[in-house]
Amino acid sequence: MTEMSVWEPVLVLLGITAAGIALLYGLGALLAARLKPLETVSFAGGLQPREHAVSRFHVRWYPVTMLFLAFDMEMLFMYPWVRVVKEMGATAVIEMFLFLGVLFAAVTYAWREGALRWT
Amino acid sequence: MAESAETAGTAPLWAVVLLPVVLTVVALAAAGFDAVLSAGAEHGRGAGRGARTLRAAVAPVREGIALLARQRRRTTADDAALGRIGIALVPLAAVLAAAVVPWGFRAVTDPVVGIVWFNAMEALAWAAVWLAGWGPNSVLSLIGGYRFLAQGLAYELPHMFALTTAALGAGSLRVGEVVRAQQGMWFVVWMPAAFAVYLLSACAMAFWGPFGHPLGRDVAGGVVAEYSGVDRLLLLGGRWLLLVATAAFSVPLFLGGGHGPLLPAWAWTVLKTAGVLALLIVGRRLVPTLRMERYMEFAWLVLVPLTLLQALVVAVVVLNR
Amino acid sequence: MDVKGAARRVLAGSPPVLLVTLPGATAERLAVEAGLRERGWPLAESPAAAAALVVAGEPSGPHVEWLGTLWSGMPRPKAYVTVAGAAESGRALDAVPRLLIAEPLGAGPQPGPPHGVVSPPEDHEVPESHGGHADHGGHHGGLVAGLPMAERADDRDGLRLDQLHLSLGPALPDWPTGLIVDVVMQGDVIQQAEVRPVPGGPPAQGSFWNEPWQRAARGEPVTRGAAERRRCAAHLDSVGRFLAVAGWSGPAARARRLRDAVLGGAGREELVGEVRPLVRQVDGSRTLRRLTTGIGPLPAARAKSVGVTGPALVADGDAHARVCVWLKEIERSLSGLEDARALAVDAENTENTKNTESTVGPRGRCDGLLSPSRALLDALPGLLRGAEFACARLIVASVDPDLDELQGAGHG
Repeated sequence: MTEMSVWEPVLVLLGITAAGIALLYGLGALLAARLKPLETVSFAGGLQPREHAVSRFHVRWYPVTMLFLAFDMEMLFMYPWVRVVKEMGATAVIEMFLFLGVLFAAVTYAWREGALRWT
Repeated sequence: MAESAETAGTAPLWAVVLLPVVLTVVALAAAGFDAVLSAGAEHGRGAGRGARTLRAAVAPVREGIALLARQRRRTTADDAALGRIGIALVPLAAVLAAAVVPWGFRAVTDPVVGIVWFNAMEALAWAAVWLAGWGPNSVLSLIGGYRFLAQGLAYELPHMFALTTAALGAGSLRVGEVVRAQQGMWFVVWMPAAFAVYLLSACAMAFWGPFGHPLGRDVAGGVVAEYSGVDRLLLLGGRWLLLVATAAFSVPLFLGGGHGPLLPAWAWTVLKTAGVLALLIVGRRLVPTLRMERYMEFAWLVLVPLTLLQALVVAVVVLNR
Repeated sequence: MDVKGAARRVLAGSPPVLLVTLPGATAERLAVEAGLRERGWPLAESPAAAAALVVAGEPSGPHVEWLGTLWSGMPRPKAYVTVAGAAESGRALDAVPRLLIAEPLGAGPQPGPPHGVVSPPEDHEVPESHGGHADHGGHHGGLVAGLPMAERADDRDGLRLDQLHLSLGPALPDWPTGLIVDVVMQGDVIQQAEVRPVPGGPPAQGSFWNEPWQRAARGEPVTRGAAERRRCAAHLDSVGRFLAVAGWSGPAARARRLRDAVLGGAGREELVGEVRPLVRQVDGSRTLRRLTTGIGPLPAARAKSVGVTGPALVADGDAHARVCVWLKEIERSLSGLEDARALAVDAENTENTKNTESTVGPRGRCDGLLSPSRALLDALPGLLRGAEFACARLIVASVDPDLDELQGAGHG
């Protein structure tokens, strides 16, 4: 099986799905009560908005994103690792779980610093 | 069906056309089942139960058509392009993720990195939901969009460890080989923790059920608060597609794929997928919506170590095999 | 083949309804909710999802403007009906499918809220503080499409981030009738909150939920059983609202169905069999407890200082504690449903009956100078400050003020 034949169907599927979505929009245009979208103010309970909503949003779980990035990068190593565990033997397992252990120690530290709570 | 297991691999091209259709049909059936259970809670054991059940079962189809009949909607100074991209990405991600799910023993495609592909596609939902929430320039949508990012931070790591655990058990990232490795024993038997965590994250990545906070009623629908017509249909329908795709993927990962007695392999896949979906749909009624500020600690301090331990156990077993 | 018409008929077969309740229209709201359940029509969460705007109560001058805003935010086809009396709800709902099918496809104006307030969004007034109409699409003194951008200000974490000024309510789903909370938000955190009733003032007839106590105070014969029935229904209504906000739709739907059964005069035996499992499920849910403990703590001392007298005072704690008090009172009220003694508050008895069921309504003492919900509203801004949006919604739902009471203050 060549590489091409593995990804070819995915490309076809992408095309079909995109076409399906376009078809739905077409169907909507055909069936909708009015073609032109309604233009209106945003909803927050019925009263008029006073400002634009898009703003510098206060993301209070920001420390978790840092923690996540650290762990997520590590995850990328784990994918190739699963394929070689059998060949490499115990060293592969010991090294990986020592590494994970260190990372998890960092998580515990972050937790004790209150990074996982924000209210 | 042992021969087909040997020749596991790509399905004929017509299956590519069939896949989105099958996904949609299963999604409609699942949504119908959900609506039937909801109608039960709404009415209790009153008279006219049969008629109501029938009515509820076809409700998703009806709602879909009704949404098509509606005018679309734009809000003041919105970012329509971003919002639209976000909306379209939801069903797109679901269908592309399902490309590596083998129905029976054949998937639309079975690349060496199938599991990574699935993971990559469902990670598209992060962008999709946030973009769809940012688009309308509405406070409630924006809150919904950001809620999903926080949710991602909570569910993604345990989810990835669960995926890795199944791959580790098979020593391969190819989905077909993960299925083959379960010929004797399903992975769920010796990886129960990974399976349970996977089910949680299946709901979470489909922002559905207890993890439906980004579309919560308290924010008037959150991410979908400002969408009507086809836009709304794609987002809400895409969510069901995503749930079906993730539930279906748990079958090759943990439930032995097409393996099973008597019935043909594809029937086993469908049966097992239906079982997982039913479990999720019934189970979601037991708990209220989970808010991430309370779930985050649980995810990092219970689920992450739990999946890590599970992975360690599997690694040790693999070494001694 | 008229596919367009066919699709529209499908929509008209079960139209999602945006139900807006005006002050004083609780009975109408309950009738509409029961009617929707009977027809199997969904409740819409926002104008975008709604095909019908159903107004419980009769809209008058001050309400017309925001109803117009809601209406103009609904995509077509759409229908508008008002329910002026509980008995009319069935007829009003039955009109919805007809209106939806008959709605003209052309660009002409649609029949909406009265007085032609429905204007295309291009003509919407910008709030007066920002000075009239602005050039659309252009940047005019910081205005974009007629609205200013959010400005930065200090927040409680010591950061300078954008502040949004926002009015929550009165048409949010599962929100107390007639309540508006003006908030200053950074991200989804509420920095400041102020509470006000919707313009137009409270209704003339007082609160639906306090009716038995008000009637008794006027000297009409009311049995204790009738009062307990009303209390039980009021708490089931509040519990249903709280659970809906918490995203637990199943038990929320059950609570509302039982509320209607209680009001409909169902017998005690019949009710107990369904209420008890519900109470046990909600009370016993460890997930709900984990999710709602510590939210909006209102210690008894503080509650007392602002004049709170009802379940919120008894709870002496957070949102979860307040819900648990409701649940306990629901069970207690159920056992008193058949109490035929009079709910007497004659002059010489008043001293002895203080703080007993003859003066304490669902939300607190009905005989004080301050109506119970006034006190709850006074406590609310302090509870909301610093809460995330989701927590703020839970806090409001766990206090569940009844703004119709504001008029009833001092009677009795």
